[in-house]
Amino acid sequence: MRRALAAELDKLRTLPIVLLTVLGTVLAGAVLGAALAASAVDGGWDVDAVDATLQAVPFVQAGFVLLGVLPVAHEYAGSQIRTSLAAVPDRSLLLVAKTAATLLVACVTAVGTVAATLAAAWVVLDRAAGDSSGGAGSDGGPGEVVRSAAGAAGYLVLIAMLALAVALLLRHLAPALVGTLALVLVVSPLLAMRTDVARWLPDRAAQQLYDASDTVLTPGTGALVALGWVVAIGAVGGARLVRRDA
Amino acid sequence: MTFPRSLLAELHKCLTLPAVWAGAAVAMLGSIALTVLNATTSRSALASGHPEMLADSSPFETAFAAMPLGTVGAVVIGVVVMGSEYTANSPDAGGGRQIGTTLTAVPRRIGLLLAKAGAVVVLVVGIAAVTLPTTVLIARLLMGDLAVEHVAVDAAVTRCLGGTLYWTLTGLIALAITTLTRSGVVPLIVLVMNSSLVSFSLLLTNVTPLAHWLPDMAGRRLFDGPYTLEGGLDAGPGALVMAGWTVALLAVAALVLRRRDA
Repeated sequence: MRRALAAELDKLRTLPIVLLTVLGTVLAGAVLGAALAASAVDGGWDVDAVDATLQAVPFVQAGFVLLGVLPVAHEYAGSQIRTSLAAVPDRSLLLVAKTAATLLVACVTAVGTVAATLAAAWVVLDRAAGDSSGGAGSDGGPGEVVRSAAGAAGYLVLIAMLALAVALLLRHLAPALVGTLALVLVVSPLLAMRTDVARWLPDRAAQQLYDASDTVLTPGTGALVALGWVVAIGAVGGARLVRRDA
Repeated sequence: MTFPRSLLAELHKCLTLPAVWAGAAVAMLGSIALTVLNATTSRSALASGHPEMLADSSPFETAFAAMPLGTVGAVVIGVVVMGSEYTANSPDAGGGRQIGTTLTAVPRRIGLLLAKAGAVVVLVVGIAAVTLPTTVLIARLLMGDLAVEHVAVDAAVTRCLGGTLYWTLTGLIALAITTLTRSGVVPLIVLVMNSSLVSFSLLLTNVTPLAHWLPDMAGRRLFDGPYTLEGGLDAGPGALVMAGWTVALLAVAALVLRRRDA
């Protein structure tokens, strides 16, 4: 298992588009954090660095969708899946190793992205506050900041795992990418505007991790609902990998 | 090859691409499913006497809330029509790319791009002609007896045509950008995001009012979604600005396609 995981991590490390996605997502987070904080300063809104970071989350999640889709999609882009299966004939082991490697990379990227966004927003707000009065610090205590940041990072990791599950099911880059993006960015906000059913969608439920505004779901149950989606879709996708032709 | 024949060839290629069918399914079946769900919820809210729970109780607005899904479909079609040319075959089949065959058959590259643009227009307009009336009809059937329609017929027709134009121009912009990038990943992410509420263009309008002149922001009054926000261009000038972007991007794409190695 350890060697299979090392092999999967090695594949991700040597795939240029994965590295570009990770760096691009962290950078996008920093730029968005700074831009959101700057527009809040211009508009005179009462926004702290945590608020600006949480507003950036829906944008940076696109990077995590790509990050989740890539580890599976690149196996099927050529004939690499056959090489992988020749090296690791136990398909369940390959599935576990791939999931673990993606989880690891997604966690690192999520922490990096949230930290970069928070830092950029804080710098901008701090500079603006230095011009007028007082500090730019958060409205809540340090515990509040850590909880929101950890919630945002957890949400982003869940989105990456959702994308991985969808990619296992669909196998190819474009359909998995469009499917997940359309679900997370288009369908769920449109449904949420009109019906309450939308709260059970994976991304809506996972959002409770950093924005506990729902009347039914708490951060804990919301994360569980999202995890349930990931496991359900991933189980079907995993069964496809284990049982069917590569 | 003459234009009609290369257009037919492109349409034929499109209809054999599973991704085009998937894009059409997102636009048509996705919109219909969303409309059914929205209209059913609206109906129960109206029936239980809580119209204030709804953003808008008009069946037409309920149907048009699904508009962004059609935009996603148009983006997918615009991207794969060009992106599929550059996708490498399986290494077992030689790992070649379709663009080589295509340029052998249609050596005039600008003619090729025009044929592809024509195919995108035909497909997207066809999808819009089916989807928009169907969703409006479904919303009316599901809510008609309870809800009051406050969108006049002529306004509804104008917005259907405007929505069709918006989808078509979005598909053409996707085609132009994919011609430049030769890969679908970046245009898919950027354009799908921008057709949603989590839009970079929408975010930019907070930073500078110039962002209202970006293609997707300029054209949004064509269908005037429920998330209407203040400011920006009116439908007529907005359509012109969006069409201007489309023509400019296609011109750049044609120039690059013509001068660059395939």
